[in-house]
Amino acid sequence: MIKIKNFLGNISLPLFVSLVFLFLYLPLVILIVFSFNDAPFPAPWTGFSLKWYHELMDSPEIWRSFYTSVVVGVSATFLSIMMTLSLIYYNLMGGKLKKLLLLFYGNILVPEIVLAVSLLCFLTFLSIPLGFLTLIISHTILCSGYVLPIVYGRFLSIDKSVIEASLDLGATMSNTFFKIVVPLLKPSLFAAGLLAFIISFDDFVLSFFCAGSDAQTLSLFIYSMIRSGVSPIVNALSTILLIFSSLLVMVFCYLNIKTKIF
Amino acid sequence: MKFKELIKKEKPFFGVSLSFVWQGLFFYLPLIFIILLSVIQLSTIPGYYKIGLANFLYFFNLSYINIILKSFGLALINCVLCFIVGFPIAYFLAFKAGRFRNLFLFLLILPFWTNFLLHVYAWFYVLEKAGFLSNLLLFFGFIKEPIGFLNSYWTILLVMMYCYLPFMVLPIYSVLERLNKNVLEASADLGASSLQTWFRITLPLSLSGLKSGFFLVFVPSFGEFAIPGLIGGDKYVFVGTVITQFILSNGSMNLGAAFTLISSIALIGLIIAMYLVGYKYIKNFGKIDD
Repeated sequence: MIKIKNFLGNISLPLFVSLVFLFLYLPLVILIVFSFNDAPFPAPWTGFSLKWYHELMDSPEIWRSFYTSVVVGVSATFLSIMMTLSLIYYNLMGGKLKKLLLLFYGNILVPEIVLAVSLLCFLTFLSIPLGFLTLIISHTILCSGYVLPIVYGRFLSIDKSVIEASLDLGATMSNTFFKIVVPLLKPSLFAAGLLAFIISFDDFVLSFFCAGSDAQTLSLFIYSMIRSGVSPIVNALSTILLIFSSLLVMVFCYLNIKTKIF
Repeated sequence: MKFKELIKKEKPFFGVSLSFVWQGLFFYLPLIFIILLSVIQLSTIPGYYKIGLANFLYFFNLSYINIILKSFGLALINCVLCFIVGFPIAYFLAFKAGRFRNLFLFLLILPFWTNFLLHVYAWFYVLEKAGFLSNLLLFFGFIKEPIGFLNSYWTILLVMMYCYLPFMVLPIYSVLERLNKNVLEASADLGASSLQTWFRITLPLSLSGLKSGFFLVFVPSFGEFAIPGLIGGDKYVFVGTVITQFILSNGSMNLGAAFTLISSIALIGLIIAMYLVGYKYIKNFGKIDD
């Protein structure tokens, strides 16, 4: 009897965990399987085909929105990293950064929808036309909320005597910054940039409010496709995006830096 | 001295002021602006407006209060579900996974790095009338005719739980990973049952992770509008839905701003209330530890 109880105690946790992972991945597996189906969804499996992938490659609309997403993601990442670096440079020059950093924590604490609504109202008031520019502005605000704590945390863990040694040996402050501090921060800059890019790339709420009518990101495109019904092209797109993200996650894990935000 | 000279020699780095200007201009100013916007009432004659609280009073009726309460309920149930499902996973990853830990972590982070709309889309294939679940139940003979599972409250919750689960698991995991394992062994050695150990040792020690997980799940699910809109098919109205309608479709930004403000205040109030209740409860059972 005790043996059975022990056995149940040992088996229940792994069983539960495997069920949850099944729950997490079953929909994705079904999604991927149906991207290779010959007939569109309500029909059962009819045969293997790559025709949805061909249609995906031929669709100009998807490529345009993909282009928008990449441009916005790259510029938001670039801007937020530049902001972070300038703040760290300021700190190196002897500025007090700790309290000023609190000003940036609001970016992730404020609910995204509130941020999106207020930005939209503000930008319309200033009569800035909605499009690429507003997308980049809003995504930069969101991304810097993630990049800044990660990179600053890494900066704090740098051995300060290295910086002092460089200054003692006659390097100027900017030389020290570019030759000592930035190389030491490189892995965390890379990881934070990757995270920022993927957050911007996957963002839906901010884009939904701030995109306007002429700039459509990939998220918005997927949203409108889902609204208009199930289409196997989205399946093909999802499969490609899943492969893309798993590559990015692998790079991120390889950098072996934990995002201390969570 | 040399240090000070060096600072003088370097040109003042105006870049840092630029990033503060950016932050102020596009983060703080809009938040202030929306407060201003919410107290302005436009009249039918263009160019004339009044300042007052009428925009707020517009929302003080039962149906809107009901919507806020419903969103609160949805977010709270979502949090609890994420905790019930997520805690065992975090526990397993921290203590039992062994050499497969990195693989499991990878599998858990991957959904977090892909667009949540794709997950919502994937659930269509499971929940539709001709979908997987309906076919599975048909196959085992539980149901006679195919049924669609979309457009129900519980389906919305299921998909939301699916999308927010990693946000609950990862913070709890990062706390449990740093937990001293000897404490758990000591508790077992001193004769506590595994349930007692969980309630008195594991749960109180993982509280900080639980708090941040709770925050990460509760706040976005309070304002969620995409998942209820897609899965529930416009039948279920939550705070996010109302905000989107006022801002984007109606074109009445002042009312939308007022409602955004009301729901943010409600959100902050509810979080404070829950922390107070939770704190009181935790303080009481922390006393046993002394």
